[in-house]
Amino acid sequence: MSAYLQVEGLNKSFGGLQALRDCSFTVAQGRITCLVGPNGAGKTTIFNAITGFLVPDTGHVTFQGISLDGRTSQQIVRHGIARTFQNLRLFVDLTARANVLAGMQDHVGEEPFTAIFRPFHTARALAAKQDAAMAVLAHVGLAAQADMLVRNLSYGEQKLLCIARILATGAELLLLDEPTSGLSGAALSDVMALLRRLQAEGKTLLVVEHNTRVVQQIADDVLFLHQGHLIAQGAPADIIADPKLAEIYFGGAI
Amino acid sequence: MDFFYTYIVLAEIYVLLGLSTNLLVGIVGIFSVSQAAVFGVGAYLTAFLVMQTSTPFLVAVLLSSILCIGLNILVTLPSLRVSGDYFVVTSFGIQLLATAVFTNWTGGTGGANGLPGVPAPWIAGHEFVEPSEFAVLATGGMALGCIAFWLIMRAPFGALLRAIREDELAVAALGKSVLRAKVSAAALAGAFAGSAGGLYASFLSFIDPSSFDLDASIFLLTMVVVGGARTLAGSVIGPFVLLALPQILALIDIPSSVAAAARQLIYGLLLIAFMLFRPQGLLGEKL
Ligand SMILES: Nc1ncnc2c1ncn2[C@@H]1O[C@H](COP(=O)(O)OP(=O)(O)OP(=O)(O)O)[C@@H](O)[C@H]1O
Ligand SMILES: [Mg+2]
Repeated sequence: MSAYLQVEGLNKSFGGLQALRDCSFTVAQGRITCLVGPNGAGKTTIFNAITGFLVPDTGHVTFQGISLDGRTSQQIVRHGIARTFQNLRLFVDLTARANVLAGMQDHVGEEPFTAIFRPFHTARALAAKQDAAMAVLAHVGLAAQADMLVRNLSYGEQKLLCIARILATGAELLLLDEPTSGLSGAALSDVMALLRRLQAEGKTLLVVEHNTRVVQQIADDVLFLHQGHLIAQGAPADIIADPKLAEIYFGGAI
Repeated sequence: MDFFYTYIVLAEIYVLLGLSTNLLVGIVGIFSVSQAAVFGVGAYLTAFLVMQTSTPFLVAVLLSSILCIGLNILVTLPSLRVSGDYFVVTSFGIQLLATAVFTNWTGGTGGANGLPGVPAPWIAGHEFVEPSEFAVLATGGMALGCIAFWLIMRAPFGALLRAIREDELAVAALGKSVLRAKVSAAALAGAFAGSAGGLYASFLSFIDPSSFDLDASIFLLTMVVVGGARTLAGSVIGPFVLLALPQILALIDIPSSVAAAARQLIYGLLLIAFMLFRPQGLLGEKL
């Protein structure tokens, strides 16, 4: 039986720095898996390797039994994996709704020929997508902000929009790079509630998360990464209780 | 009256060029300084086809547009490999290369002396000689260009181009092909520039390399800066405003050599002033 997502023996060096070393793990379908580790452990690099943003020196990624090796980021989205960025990378001069529309696939008129020669067909298809985009925004609680420029949204709203934008792709496996960083209070609980809701709807989540309280509350599984190597894997309570891991995690930070 | 219609026709032809430049520079963010070269190829090819092979005018313009689609894809391809600032240098090289060919290939282009005797268009037994008659054609061409531009900008293709301008990596992460979108935009910009070239050659009946050199490319950028980036209104108003200037200078009683220098001076000042004080142009958005 193959795992839902299987990462095997990833190695990646940037010049002299080995960002990933023989990194292997699996992610189970329908669960929230948190990827934790100190700054520079290689968490974002793993996301980049899974989503085709960088080619690992060695190693393989398999999703639902299909090899993703050598696939482009576009092909990987087609396979049902989408990721957010630690630094958001939203289209800040577009509206929230336009950002979600940008995430949706198979638009009619996304090339000039159809846009020019079949304008009515294009307009009708777009009108239908507008409704779907509004539904996605409502789902993450941003319906009221649909027509606001992203640069005018609060940071918490922008974080929610990042998730909305990749939900719009229709992906089944969502890779979220620090979705709660910089948030507190209501904004933090909004994101946490959204992640649980997505899980309940059948999505699988791999989440980079620094906040141990968040990990404790949302994670089913925890992967602990240190210097590019997976050094522990298990239930959140076990990982958090491990004094050796706490030493690595907090020792490095102080 | 011819004076007025000549202005209208030229401004309308430059609207097509403005759309082309706006699409590439304003919307996709490919900073090309060689759009006049593509314009020139369209002009010379149309001239060649109607003069040497007696191809009907509309067919010649269509063929010129098709060639310029391919050509513009080719000249913008380097922008996919080298980033922003470096592409400007590449594009500069392409423009110089084109000027060298236009000036020295005397057999094909008439060289620096230019190519006289491009016949006026014949369509369905009617000859469009007078500027007032040609204005009908130019208006038609401009209208088609504007409609096409308007349609793509409100379609998902326009949205994709805007997203690409903001963040290519994020677009790729959403499963979209940045390459395909850029190539499509370059193709469309090529079609606009090529058909503008065909109209230009047929209207003036005389073309020479000075209309298609680096100054001309910079003039096209000035139109986008003054008119405003990324909007249809900006692409239309820019050429009408800038081409009014030589007409106004012609009304003032000064020697033509002085007028030409004054024009360059004013264009330069406008470019600087708009970039500093009104980067969104008259009716557009910030470049
Ligand atoms: N493109 C790159 N070129 C060079 N070095 C890189 C590159 N990407 C990542 N690195 C280096 O690889 C290491 C791992 O980086 P990565 O971004 O994966 O860490 P991270 O676990 O996501 O950290 P953080 O918690 O700070 O986000 C770091 O030392 C980083 O500087
Ligand atoms: Mg990171």
